[in-house]
Amino acid sequence: MWINMGPQHPMTHGLWNLRVRIEGEIIEEVDPEMGYLHRGIEKISEDRHYNEVITLMDRTCYVAGLAWEHLYIIAAEQALHLEPPERAQYIRTLSDELQRIASHLMWYAAFVQDIGLMTPFLYAMRDRDLVLDLFQSYTGARMTYEYNRVGGVRNDLPTGFTDRTRKVMDWIYARFVDYDHLCLDSDIFHRRCDGIGVLSARDCVDWGVTGPMLRSAGVRRDLRKDRPYAAYDRVEFDVAVADGADVTARYLVRMEEMRQAVRIVRQTLDWLDKNPGPVLADRLPRWLGAPYAPVGREGYLLKRNFPTGRGFSSVEEPHGEAQAYVVNTGGEHPYRVKFRSPVFANIAAAQKYLPGYRVADIPPIMGSVDICVGEVDR
Amino acid sequence: MAASAPKENPTNPLSGVVRPLATAARQFTKSLIRPSTIVYPYERLEDPKFRGKVAVASGRPIGVGDVWDNYRGVHALNIATCISCNLCAFSCPDICIEMVSVAGDDPKHPKKCPQIDYGKCSYCGFCSDACPEGCLTMTTRYELAVTKRAEMVYSPERLHEVFQRKLPMNPIRLERPANEDAILLDAPLCIGCNACARDCPTKCITMLDVPKPTARPGEKLPRRIWKEPVVNDSDCVRCGTCISVCPKECLFWGTHK
Amino acid sequence: MTGATLYSVSAALSALLLGAVASILPAPVSGWLTSADVVTGLAVLIFSAILLVASMINTIMLIWFERKMLGRFMDRRGAMHVGYAGLLQNFADGLKLFRKNTFRPQEADSLGFYAGPTAYMVTSMILFGVLPISTGWSSGALPLSLLLALAIFSFAPLFIFVSAWSSNNKYSLIGGMRSAAQMIAYEVPILLAVVAVVIVSGSFDLNVIVNEQQNYWFWFPLLLALIVFVAGMLAEMERIPFDLPEAEAELVEGWNTEYGGMLFAFFMLADYVRALIGSILVVLLFLGGWTMPSWVPAAATSFPLAGIFWFMIKTYAVFGLFVWIRASLPRVRTDQLLRVGWNRMIPLALLSIVLAAVLVTVRCLPFLGCVPPVGG
Repeated sequence: MWINMGPQHPMTHGLWNLRVRIEGEIIEEVDPEMGYLHRGIEKISEDRHYNEVITLMDRTCYVAGLAWEHLYIIAAEQALHLEPPERAQYIRTLSDELQRIASHLMWYAAFVQDIGLMTPFLYAMRDRDLVLDLFQSYTGARMTYEYNRVGGVRNDLPTGFTDRTRKVMDWIYARFVDYDHLCLDSDIFHRRCDGIGVLSARDCVDWGVTGPMLRSAGVRRDLRKDRPYAAYDRVEFDVAVADGADVTARYLVRMEEMRQAVRIVRQTLDWLDKNPGPVLADRLPRWLGAPYAPVGREGYLLKRNFPTGRGFSSVEEPHGEAQAYVVNTGGEHPYRVKFRSPVFANIAAAQKYLPGYRVADIPPIMGSVDICVGEVDR
Repeated sequence: MAASAPKENPTNPLSGVVRPLATAARQFTKSLIRPSTIVYPYERLEDPKFRGKVAVASGRPIGVGDVWDNYRGVHALNIATCISCNLCAFSCPDICIEMVSVAGDDPKHPKKCPQIDYGKCSYCGFCSDACPEGCLTMTTRYELAVTKRAEMVYSPERLHEVFQRKLPMNPIRLERPANEDAILLDAPLCIGCNACARDCPTKCITMLDVPKPTARPGEKLPRRIWKEPVVNDSDCVRCGTCISVCPKECLFWGTHK
Repeated sequence: MTGATLYSVSAALSALLLGAVASILPAPVSGWLTSADVVTGLAVLIFSAILLVASMINTIMLIWFERKMLGRFMDRRGAMHVGYAGLLQNFADGLKLFRKNTFRPQEADSLGFYAGPTAYMVTSMILFGVLPISTGWSSGALPLSLLLALAIFSFAPLFIFVSAWSSNNKYSLIGGMRSAAQMIAYEVPILLAVVAVVIVSGSFDLNVIVNEQQNYWFWFPLLLALIVFVAGMLAEMERIPFDLPEAEAELVEGWNTEYGGMLFAFFMLADYVRALIGSILVVLLFLGGWTMPSWVPAAATSFPLAGIFWFMIKTYAVFGLFVWIRASLPRVRTDQLLRVGWNRMIPLALLSIVLAAVLVTVRCLPFLGCVPPVGG
């Protein structure tokens, strides 16, 4: 019997369709269908100024906007031959890690609801709200931040921000114990999650699965360590790895990543306290100087021989390894922008890790993937 | 280095049930008097009672009111200081800003001010970042529910009303980059038509006389007015209006040699 | 309250009403109206109307109670806009569902689709006529009221399955199958746990069972039976952690996926009716019903309607336990649920029967006094 789980189904967490062939309660075959949320972000980007693309990045992945902004910004800066100031690098690192906490809390909330727990859902949303408050205090928005700019970030942190962030980090760090009590110490949780959705390290590599799913299979792969960007080579943290490759292992990896993120945030806060400075590069081309979008006559940049270039970046965003490629042919718009979404590969591998388990196992397994359909379909 | 080893499956199923029950009960006792919800229509995040307070409820260890200052909400427009430079409309990624005439002004040269369609606006703040006079700013107002789509379009007058309410405004003003381009003139092309000086919103362009050269025998002088624009760079807001109105394409962006 | 029962009150009310009406009507009609049969008939109607209204209000209050309590477990407030502290929110919700259009999928089987929820609702409501809430609440002593209650209680899987199958929806069908399997699996341990109570009290009459608990409540000697009974009730009520027939994560809404409007309200309401009845059964069987232990001061147990007051307190406390469990535990899987039901619950229930038999043989417990002789 084929069942369509989606596009409108509580399990999907977004707009996609998981077609499942079941025999009794056992899954025989699955067929993930994506594309319901395609908005043509790559194409729209070709028609926008470099800074205006940032507004799209927040909507690409709506739970990890700052990480995607960072991804695009690194590629765009490479393509435009710009170097952001060091303080901006640290602020971006801070933003990435706060975003990682927010995104993982969102994942946790959705995941526990998939296995039937409402209470930790609200705990996680409550604590995520505090992180969103922090975002609001320095970017001005809670979800669509538009904070990074080519060549730096829009504004410096407000006064009192670091102290407030420290308080929030202390609070959230203490809450992780509650989360573990409600899940990891629960007998039923282990009955539901142990040993299901197993995807071995070999299969992870074959299917291009990255991020916490890959690390849960025991592979120590983290771009923040392997190819450090921003200020990641100047902060101390451990790569969260677990073995078991099942749902519980993914839970462990993400919880540990949140703890490490708190650690990184504390280090960046210390650095930011001690090192004031500019946050936006001052040698910017006129039309990239943050406020000035209009360019007047068409094609004037081509006349002025603005340097061309290409930029490639790959970033360890909360869901996995995202990549961006930006081609600058000297115009005011990027010639081509291409993104690689980690979740796309992670969902596609469902054909590998779902068959053989039960229908009731689908929500926890797919929940442990951490799906953000916005970035799958772009 | 590695993550903490996976916790052992609780051997005693009783403790595996008691722990979660105890955790939920602890939260129950904590939130019995005052859950951490902020009861929105009756309380607001920006209320003074939340400002700077620590631990107003079990889930709110910080003064939540403090986070409100930079919020990007509905715009406020000060019509009096608007110079109609068009930069906000230029910089809008969603093309939701339209420059419309403000009523009750000189009908011959109507003043144009931004009108914002909040059905399209994404609150990115590029327009207020671009505004050179600081007259278009974003406020902390966030309640915009309307019953008709047309009501989502805020005319300059409505934006001015928002301004007059003196709501807290986004305090961040961006500095202009040090190496800004300037308006340059390709002098041989200019015909001295005064279009740039007439339309310049800051009136920073003055038309100066240039000496009319004496024609050599056989040479035909171009037919033009013998004046040339000179841009006062410190007053110029780099809006590019002069470039777009120039009939001869003789103005362009560039760096002073 | 001694002497006056709910039925005697409604009989008096009926006689009063009919007498008043008869006084203004001509002789043959008034004579017929005041005859004993008509008075009794109207008395029964009034009795059931009071019962219905009381149980409905209690059920809706139960939903409010759950929403508020669950809110506190989750660090939020629950319903709070309609009425004081949201007391009227569920009435507003019910009104909204009542106004909604009820539609049926084209391919659904009409008879089963409409009859299922109705029968589910009706059989759940009937139970209130069986259960004694306090002395003098029920119409008369039914010698087998416990058995009757459990028999009616176990109709549910049939109607759920009928409505699920006739919805012509795959999710509904899977949910209905799970529901039927689960309820049948947990009927057995529940009945076995009840047998332990029956052995100790020596009667199937709920009134007698409660009166047997004057000395001590049965939860202490029969703790094992209580645990089995509560776990089984959780499964029967389809509440987390055993709510997999309507596991929304994989089955949308399970067997009531295709229902909307008032038919959905029937299911929703009947679920809570069953939850209320489950709590009432726990109170009746294990927590002494409307009686209070002797160390409670007499003033607390002798005011008018004290029996009902304490009974409701206990019922809501038991339901609070169910809410607490719902707030803290995830949902189990079907196969695990059935394995626990057949492999763990039934042996535990059998063990509790053995314990009950030992208790009856020994008769006396330390600190608690002695069991009255069986059948006494």
